[in-house]
Amino acid sequence: MDLLSNLALGFGVASSLANLAFCLIGVLLGTLIGVLPGIGATATIAMLLPITFQLEPVSSLIMLAGIYYGAQYGGSTTAILINMPGESSSAVTAIDGYQMARKGRAGTALATAALGSFFAGSVATFLVAIFAPPLTTIALKFGAAEYFSLMVMGLVMSVALAHGSVLKALAMVVLGLLLGMVGTDVYTGAPRFTMGMNQFADGLNFVAVAVGVFGIAEILRNLEDEHDRQVMTKNITRLFPNREEFRQMVGPVLRGTGIGSVLGILPGGGAILASFASYTIEKKVSKNPGEFGKGALAGVAGPESANNAGAQTSFIPLLTLGIPANPVMALMIGAMIIQGIVPGPNVVTEQPALFWGIIASMWIGNLMLVVLNLPLIGLWVKLLTVPYYVLFPIIMAMCSIGVYSVNSNPYDLFAVAFFGLLGYIMSKLRCEPAPLLLGFVLGPLLEENLRRAMILSRGDPTTFVTRPISATLLLMSLAILVLVFLPQIRKRRDEVFTESDA
Amino acid sequence: MTASKLLGALFAATILTAPAFAQSYPERQITMVVPFSAGGPTDTVARLVAERMSEDLGQQIVIQNVGGAGGTLGASQVAKAEADGYTVLLHHIGMATSDTLYRNLPYETLDAFEYVGLVTEVPMVVTARQDFEPADFPAFIEYVKANADSLTLANAGIGAASHLCGMLLMQALEAPLVTVPYKGTGPAMTDLLGGQVDIMCDQTTNTTQQIKAGTIKAYAVTTPERLDLFPDLPTAAESGLEAMQFGIWHGIYTPKGTAPEINQRLSESLQKALADEDVAKAMADLGTAPSPAEDATPEALKTKLEEEIARWQPVIEAAGVYAD
Amino acid sequence: MSTKPKDGTDIAAGLLFMAIAAFFAWQGLGLEMGTSIRMGPGYFPMVLSAILFLLGAVILFKAFGRPDDEPIGRFAWRGILFILPAPIFFGLTVRGLGFVPALFFTTLIASQASVRMRPLPALILAIVVTIMSTLIFSYGLGLPFRRFGPWLPL
Repeated sequence: MDLLSNLALGFGVASSLANLAFCLIGVLLGTLIGVLPGIGATATIAMLLPITFQLEPVSSLIMLAGIYYGAQYGGSTTAILINMPGESSSAVTAIDGYQMARKGRAGTALATAALGSFFAGSVATFLVAIFAPPLTTIALKFGAAEYFSLMVMGLVMSVALAHGSVLKALAMVVLGLLLGMVGTDVYTGAPRFTMGMNQFADGLNFVAVAVGVFGIAEILRNLEDEHDRQVMTKNITRLFPNREEFRQMVGPVLRGTGIGSVLGILPGGGAILASFASYTIEKKVSKNPGEFGKGALAGVAGPESANNAGAQTSFIPLLTLGIPANPVMALMIGAMIIQGIVPGPNVVTEQPALFWGIIASMWIGNLMLVVLNLPLIGLWVKLLTVPYYVLFPIIMAMCSIGVYSVNSNPYDLFAVAFFGLLGYIMSKLRCEPAPLLLGFVLGPLLEENLRRAMILSRGDPTTFVTRPISATLLLMSLAILVLVFLPQIRKRRDEVFTESDA
Repeated sequence: MTASKLLGALFAATILTAPAFAQSYPERQITMVVPFSAGGPTDTVARLVAERMSEDLGQQIVIQNVGGAGGTLGASQVAKAEADGYTVLLHHIGMATSDTLYRNLPYETLDAFEYVGLVTEVPMVVTARQDFEPADFPAFIEYVKANADSLTLANAGIGAASHLCGMLLMQALEAPLVTVPYKGTGPAMTDLLGGQVDIMCDQTTNTTQQIKAGTIKAYAVTTPERLDLFPDLPTAAESGLEAMQFGIWHGIYTPKGTAPEINQRLSESLQKALADEDVAKAMADLGTAPSPAEDATPEALKTKLEEEIARWQPVIEAAGVYAD
Repeated sequence: MSTKPKDGTDIAAGLLFMAIAAFFAWQGLGLEMGTSIRMGPGYFPMVLSAILFLLGAVILFKAFGRPDDEPIGRFAWRGILFILPAPIFFGLTVRGLGFVPALFFTTLIASQASVRMRPLPALILAIVVTIMSTLIFSYGLGLPFRRFGPWLPL
């Protein structure tokens, strides 16, 4: 069979001793740098990219893939341990992962993330191998109208991220959307909300906003009552999940893998939605949704799997079209070009060893990640026993370096401070940061695609319902809306009744 | 790095202004500012030449990506840097166009820099979706003129190569197409591949692989001569569109006041890097070629910049689009 | 507490959202609105500002007649005073002073946010963090930071 011989070719390339070593080094470096707070996958890869230039093309890309997986997992680790996500995807992990850590279940959360990612990564790798070309054809059917409808669906889902007031969560989403508008307007070049500072012409830096509203706000909260509040539970019982927890993991991991794989294929930013969508679904199917936001295992297992599956399948547009789906993929293309490989539709046929080598190394990278990180979990968890007043100055130093390293823009650091303050005030007012972050990520995509769809349809708004994929997505959004709000309304009625009884 | 080098760096950082110092240049690491994010085409060009130049200079050239505001943030950082030869800028045609596109630039383009030389000039190709009707470029011109208001033209954002080329194309054909801007080349190319938009004119760097794979249709190149890469593609000038002759040229600059000896030294090093076979091959893969040695000089770059500022000003003003 | 219960937190939240919405609307006034068919740069922000203002108003309105279940509590003034200036300081000085001194002071400033941090441990911590980071980022990864910048009179 063709696929088998191709995979054999790939594994032959990827499992040479040297390439295995490069993959391992990549995973290790990626994890070690990515685990530093405020340094997300993009910054990690940008920092480590030059190291790979000296190598053979295949080895270099294999190492880079290793760095990528390592950095992703490193990002999830900081999200769980200190509530500091470095990517939009790990923002979701932070919601329940951090709560688990506070309850002494950091080890379980980290192991769940590692195992879920591994499973999702393995499945998605095979999807890439088998379906890459046909899936690309589907992805190209997505135009502006489809993306707009997809983003609408994402927004509807975002409401489920809240575990407090839905109203406040909505307000936070809208605030996030507004913050996403900051920067130069793509269509007219008009600067918006930049306060006359060219430094914000390309918009607010995601890492700055995320580090501010999540990480810094959390540090400030912990500093409120230093004398009488224990920040972290010290008695960590187990590092690994028990049988019961494994059982709980299965469903979310399977669903997350499915969602992530599908969304990752879309080059226009589908992978962003993967972890958010998974969280929504887990909360919806869970028997006790009240647990979400307070340390639900499914709230880590699902989104982490979805995220990794999406990360994997987002290689499809890269490899088959030569088009990067996100900044990380753009870095990968840069690395390929420097190696003399210009990615494009012909890479599969012209350089089969490279193409299948990378696919095989994806799986090997995932395997190494799990082998490497399961033993490291003990070490990461130990970090929590470091007194908090020692930990947070280190966090501040690392995130200053991390944020600055991306664009060498001091204004990004000013934004960190500003959003730290905003995030702190918001958390004092019991408004949660995750919906804000989702809004921030979706805002530009939503507006851009809406306006583009209107231009392409010559101002005909029916384009959203006459295009079948778009119409389907909008119908699905409506269904989700009903599913989310119906129980809310019913609950509200119940509450009213109980009150009048009393 | 050793302690003595560190001391050298300290020393250089503080009292290095005297031109006499130029003789021993370079004594420490040089920072090459690329005003775009890592992994993009300009970054790739920079890393290619920086690697070879490092070998020749005997000092490492590190790339610093200072992206933002169409390259003007990185350029203004270099404009403000010390003129000691340890901060250089690699910028493309945007250096000339931003002079008009941005009405509040924090520096005077022609007054804030010294020149090292031209690096490469990337040709542009007029392309369209795979199933676009016209068979060749003359037919394309006819068709576009006749259907101007129903055709869409993609670009990768204001100031991007595809935006500049699009403006030239529309002015040359006197055909006001429906412009559809994107954020970057990636999404624009995706929509062209998917047939969501009709026409795009972009650098060979971004289009070559797609054209070869037949996923998009190519009509003409913007170079004075046909390209070795696509011998069958006519130049725009062959069909009478002389105005459509341009490329995305890249140049290396230093801050105003940098000693001429230093610029000369960098220029020599650049010429050696551009003569390197590996660099030529890597550039050929991108659909471009290194600039000839006589263009990799301070004088040639200065002339180019002046010419290009004068050339683009009326084009941009006629289009009435600004980036601020 | 007055006779009528009210949720102080939500009142503040509602007012804050309304204020932010007003700010964005005011800043967006100069932007071209366009039409729903061909939207200008000001269209989408204006719609969002209006929605945010409405949401804020609803939050505010619903806060009355309901007791505050969890009062705002103490503010981390010391934290705000020392944590927030740390990245700002780094941003302002990393080019001038260079990476090493900028990072050292950044860590030192941040460490002062905790009452538990004594001067000597703070100093040691800042030194260790600076040395480690310089080794990792500057020497190990070769990030293009100047270690010591032009402001230093060396």
